[in-house]
Amino acid sequence: MSNVNTVVFTIVVVLFVLVTFIGFAAARWRRAEDMLHLNEWGLGGRGFGTFIAWFLLGGDLYTAYTFIAVPALVFASGSIGFYAVSYTIMVFPIAFIFLPRLWSVCRVHNYVTPADFIRGRYGSRGLSLAAAFTGILSLMPYIALQLVGIQAVLTVMGVAASSNNTYVKDTPLFVAFVVLAVYTYVSGLRAPAAISFVKDTLIYVFVIAAVFYIPTRLGGWSHIFGAAQTHMAAINPATKEPNGTFIPTTKSVGSTQFDFATLALGSAVALFLYPHTITGALATKRRNVVKRNMALLPAYSVLLACIALFGYMAIADKTTAAAVKKAGNTQLAVPYLLQHMFPSWFTGIAFAGIIIGALVPAAIMAIAAANLFTRNIFKEFFKPDASPRLETRVSQWASLVVKFGALAFAVWLPHTFAINLQLLGGVWILQIFPMLVFGLFTRWFHRWALVAGWAAGMIYGTIAAYNVHTATSSHWASSSDIVFGHTVYIGFTAVVLNLIVSVVLTLILKAVRAPAGTDETLPHQYTADPEQAPVPAPAGVGVASD
Amino acid sequence: MTEPTATPSAPRDPQSAATRRTNPVLAHPITSLAIGVLVAAAILCTLIVPIYAHVTPKIGDFPFFYFYLLIYMPATALALWIAMRLQRRLQPRQPADTGTAGTAGDPVPGGVR
Repeated sequence: MSNVNTVVFTIVVVLFVLVTFIGFAAARWRRAEDMLHLNEWGLGGRGFGTFIAWFLLGGDLYTAYTFIAVPALVFASGSIGFYAVSYTIMVFPIAFIFLPRLWSVCRVHNYVTPADFIRGRYGSRGLSLAAAFTGILSLMPYIALQLVGIQAVLTVMGVAASSNNTYVKDTPLFVAFVVLAVYTYVSGLRAPAAISFVKDTLIYVFVIAAVFYIPTRLGGWSHIFGAAQTHMAAINPATKEPNGTFIPTTKSVGSTQFDFATLALGSAVALFLYPHTITGALATKRRNVVKRNMALLPAYSVLLACIALFGYMAIADKTTAAAVKKAGNTQLAVPYLLQHMFPSWFTGIAFAGIIIGALVPAAIMAIAAANLFTRNIFKEFFKPDASPRLETRVSQWASLVVKFGALAFAVWLPHTFAINLQLLGGVWILQIFPMLVFGLFTRWFHRWALVAGWAAGMIYGTIAAYNVHTATSSHWASSSDIVFGHTVYIGFTAVVLNLIVSVVLTLILKAVRAPAGTDETLPHQYTADPEQAPVPAPAGVGVASD
Repeated sequence: MTEPTATPSAPRDPQSAATRRTNPVLAHPITSLAIGVLVAAAILCTLIVPIYAHVTPKIGDFPFFYFYLLIYMPATALALWIAMRLQRRLQPRQPADTGTAGTAGDPVPGGVR
């Protein structure tokens, strides 16, 4: 720990201790009579208003990894990284269409997870299992990536680089994660909800300061954009092609406009299919809270756009660019930039913001994955008469398992592995789009056809992502590949295939009159706005309705 | 966007009479159209990349592409806020019980499985 800046380190530690305190104290916040119910532990009492939900969803959607990876992509490849900006705009009008309906039906039927809804809508355990499995599978690498985000910051702080021994090197990460795991276990969703206030404040402060201050150090925006444009047009000696693109091209292959649009659309749709974002949305009090937040959350996207521009600032700042090149890891671009540009006390605040920014989504993701396991695997297949208390206990333990799984992932496997899997996670989670989103509007699709479509999309997406190669890497080179001569996001192609299979098989299955399954939802429940949170029913009541 | 889609296989029960109340979209065609246009525009104006994938005209020091993406966010927020306000008009003045009616008349008590 020889080259650790004491000021930076102290500020980060102090802020970390503060959020730890908040995390434990959150258990007493809006205290319920019985914390041992999934609506309490897993959804914070389903009573968050517009204000809290804004912080919670903001803290949930914009993860620390986004803050590290988006500027890293912009730094490495230029304009294509801005698909993230486009998608975080598009996501809100899209979610505005279907999210309120999901909220209503989940509220009326006391559904805790998206797979609960699919189970009720199609009367199919298999389909619900497919959704739960996909959700957990996509969340694991996502949580691991939050740790990768923390590691990037710790590396630049000098904390992680001091030893070659994995255990010594990752001790700070380990400590941070154990603390996180324990207060999530105790306080449930209330912990990340409370901590998100600290996270969002820190992030807002440092991003706004950076956006106004850094350009003055680098000769203004015109110089930043100029340096970026020159750098992107320059020929990379390794690939014999330009470093990147400054504006999406009109060609058919490469960082094209079509690739940009499909990446943005696919990611936008995927974002509100991820179980952790649905968990955040279901924790709200009223239907209108969800809608209002769709109009208020774009404020965070402005922040993300500024953060994406950090990638260009890192190109324009020669010291940062050289440090990143020396380390051979573009993910260090933002931490190095902040460290080089700001006085140590402010770097400490910014680094603490990123680290805490990783803890909030990691906690919500672990809760969401735990709820999926409990409701749709444990209760569905192993213990149908599980009481709400037992459900909550199982979820608490499952959240610990998920977190340590992710920790193992981040510490022992190469980072590229986690990144590739997260890329796949987006492709995978998109495959529940037909069953979930179309299911909110129509019962036309047949459950077996949806299972087949899901399987087709999962298999195609996984193989296609594995096969993408470039001059510098043989597999997993990108989230886009070439279909019919055009570069297109793999998730997009896979979900189109999924839809085609679902439609064709539905027509066939309807023709042969295959049993359609019972739908326990009613049309008016998709627009209902019950004021009271669903009454915790005694265990086993609903089993009779199966 | 807010109306329930007619679902052929939905369970038939005494409640469905209440759901077939005046269709809010048919009752307010212009408001509904406005909501549809606002939401569709919010999606399409960023999905159709050729609209803004240009370096020029520069606004200040910002190339058009980057400026457009920055400005687009407040615009989306505004569009959705208006859409939300308009949706309130679609809701017929209902007695206060409609919200909870869903739960009360729910054929699956509590809905917990």
